[in-house]
Amino acid sequence: MTDALRIVVAEDSLLFREGLVRLLGELGHDVVAAVADTPLLREAVEEHRPDVAVVDIRMPPDHDSDGARVAAYIRSDHPSVGVLLLSQHIELRHCLELIGQPGFGYLLKDRVLHLADFDESLRRVAADGVALDPQIVQALVRARPTPGLGLTPREQEVLALVAQGHSNAAISTALHLSDRTIEAHMRSIFTRLGLTDDGSTHRRVRAVIAYLETGGQPSGGDPSAR
Amino acid sequence: MPPGPIRCHDVAMAPAAARSMLAAGSVVPLLGIGIGLGTVGGSPADSAAHAACLVAVAIGWLLHHRDRSSPVAPALAWSSAAVSLVALNDTLAASWYTDGPLPLASLSRHVWAGLWPVNLAGLFALLLVFPDGRRRGRYWSALPFAYALAVASMALAQWDAQQAGGEVVGESSPLRSAAGLVGIVLVAACLVSAVISLVLAYREGGERRRLQVRWLMLAGATSVLLLICGWVAEALGASIDAAYTPFILSIVVLVPAAVGIAMIRHDLFDVDRILGTGGSWLLTLAVSAGVFGVVVTTISRTFGAHAGLSQASAAFVTAIVLLPLHHLLVTLVGRVVDRDRHVAIAQIEQFAADVRSGVRQPESIEEVLREAQGDPDLALVLRRPDGQWVRLSGEAVGAPDGIRVEVAGDLIAVVELGWDSARARRRIADLTRAAWVTIEVSRLRSVLRDALDEVSASQTRLAEAAATERHRLERDLHDGAQQRIVATGMRLRILQRHVGGHAASELETAVDELEQTVRELRDLAHGVRPIRLSDGLHAALEAVRDASPVPVSLSVREPATLDETRRVTAYLVISEAVTNALKHAAATRIEVSVDDLEGRVLVMVSDDGVGGVLAPGPTALRDRVLSVGGQLTVRSPAQGGTTVTALL
Repeated sequence: MTDALRIVVAEDSLLFREGLVRLLGELGHDVVAAVADTPLLREAVEEHRPDVAVVDIRMPPDHDSDGARVAAYIRSDHPSVGVLLLSQHIELRHCLELIGQPGFGYLLKDRVLHLADFDESLRRVAADGVALDPQIVQALVRARPTPGLGLTPREQEVLALVAQGHSNAAISTALHLSDRTIEAHMRSIFTRLGLTDDGSTHRRVRAVIAYLETGGQPSGGDPSAR
Repeated sequence: MPPGPIRCHDVAMAPAAARSMLAAGSVVPLLGIGIGLGTVGGSPADSAAHAACLVAVAIGWLLHHRDRSSPVAPALAWSSAAVSLVALNDTLAASWYTDGPLPLASLSRHVWAGLWPVNLAGLFALLLVFPDGRRRGRYWSALPFAYALAVASMALAQWDAQQAGGEVVGESSPLRSAAGLVGIVLVAACLVSAVISLVLAYREGGERRRLQVRWLMLAGATSVLLLICGWVAEALGASIDAAYTPFILSIVVLVPAAVGIAMIRHDLFDVDRILGTGGSWLLTLAVSAGVFGVVVTTISRTFGAHAGLSQASAAFVTAIVLLPLHHLLVTLVGRVVDRDRHVAIAQIEQFAADVRSGVRQPESIEEVLREAQGDPDLALVLRRPDGQWVRLSGEAVGAPDGIRVEVAGDLIAVVELGWDSARARRRIADLTRAAWVTIEVSRLRSVLRDALDEVSASQTRLAEAAATERHRLERDLHDGAQQRIVATGMRLRILQRHVGGHAASELETAVDELEQTVRELRDLAHGVRPIRLSDGLHAALEAVRDASPVPVSLSVREPATLDETRRVTAYLVISEAVTNALKHAAATRIEVSVDDLEGRVLVMVSDDGVGGVLAPGPTALRDRVLSVGGQLTVRSPAQGGTTVTALL
């Protein structure tokens, strides 16, 4: 394991919060604060400036998508703090604009039981990367073709994994392909999406955003407008 | 006194003149009584006759008291006083030929026999002025003078003639004969004109005047009937006094009484009905007697003189025709003398027939009653079984005051009259008797409508409660059980890191089990209420589409005002319909559309499957749709394809 992350945990259920704190400790991270509602979360983030805030999407006082709203606030006001949202189920209303952006992750809660994946997701988010639950990506894009992008099925498959936040190496393992093939697919994807290489990792992120915007949007309208 | 019609063509008279004439008319019978009692030539019977004439005089005074300019009052008084005057003159004239002639006897003997037209002068005046005064116009104003001329002519024709044993004895000459002819013609012409005047008054008058005239008709018809009875009695051998006394009494008592009622309380009794019933019974009697006579005559002529047989047959035939005949005559006579009521009841009966044949709604009964009653302010208030009073519109009102409508002792409604009178009350009673079925039907329909509204409201409340409950249950599953299991899994994971070997792999299995359980719980919660519904109907339906093994095309336009209950219902209807199409229809493609229909949701699911689903479609679907007050149609031709449409 590499160096420890400084983490703020926001979760209203005591049982889950304590479990999470212990689990993160077990993973070698430093939980600097564990809070139970959104106002306290804001205070803790401002005070500790952690690497990552692990936030439950439903929290007091409203028990609606308050977590998602605070996540948006943290990402805009404290860009150095990564946010990993946790949810019992897929709930996209308030976090569509965050999904695909760097420094933001969204996992289903039971995903924390896979310690290695969870740890990796935390680290990706802390490093301004993306971490999306496969189910969430699936919910957004499904297995249907995205005609607006003009990608081949294989390219879509690759891009879906990129959207989940996986590295080229992890994708090549998952698809039983060589790293070079994956790189070729990525280049083809960038070309098709008209993304020129400007020397930053942002091209990758922009590809994901383009993918999610087209694939994640229902044909009947823009869900984020509801 | 209720306001009468405007007198546009009637000539009233000066109160002073009316009073003088009444006074004069009062003096005559009183004189008659006095002479009858106090002189040798008079008799107590004569006095009684004069006294009877006072009835009309008294009623005349009463009418004068009510309306001082009414010419009916003196005319009524003189209708009897004139008879009294002629009788008085008879007494005076007769006394001339006795030992002790009364004063003025020398004068009155000249006109003894010729004064008879005076008998009818009062009645003539009454017919002319009843009920609102003499008609305008030269002809009508000339009539009294014509009658005076007739009296004078008759007096001239029978000047100095004597009456002896009912015969008139006197000299004859061409001049006298001519005067007599002129007198008779004038009297007849005047009387006919007076009757015409009354008929015109009836035809041109409003309802009130017609009613007043009907009272006079009733009295007149009775008098005529009694006169006929008198003739029959005389023919059968009764004495003249006994035979004609009822007729005389009806003239001097019944006619004044009828006029009095007509002028003061024309709606005291239902003169229409009395006239109608009396007239129709009279005609029934006459026609039955005719039938009896014809049958007796026919049979006895055909079969010889078997009196017993012919009478029995006649009785039999008469009995058979009596009732139908009477019904027929009641209708016919009713149409003539009681036209308004018959027309009104016919209106109600026509309406009831229209309701039966489905042309009109029973709720129109109030309008129909208003029209039939001629009362635009009439209101029908229904009494519901719970004792509450409601209008036909359903508006609740306090306990009303009016004409009660009862069915088998049960009060079902009350009619509030805009124009209340004894007559209006009788009329509406007749009408409601004819209309009770429609009133009862509209009452029961109002109760039924409310009950259905209540059922529908309670269904909607239940659906709302169920939707809330689903939401709560889903949250409980996510935030309770699921959360707890994941927390336990985390503990196990931590534990796992501190143990090794077999225990670690056991814990791995246990955590896998827990994860499986969480997934199951998530699916369960999704079945209770798909969490993606929170992201809108489209998001939730995408999940349905993605779960389907056959292509599902989606077109969703969700109303902005869609509430949770209808959103859940729309979702469940669609997912059930899709499931049905997959399970039973062997569909190869399914189309789902959700449309915004001015705030209502139109849901349509169609497939290309086998079709032939029986109307009205699956019960579960129907119940779901009805529970939010929606409509469900299932079109499924036998040749294939099913379209489920729900409007929420």
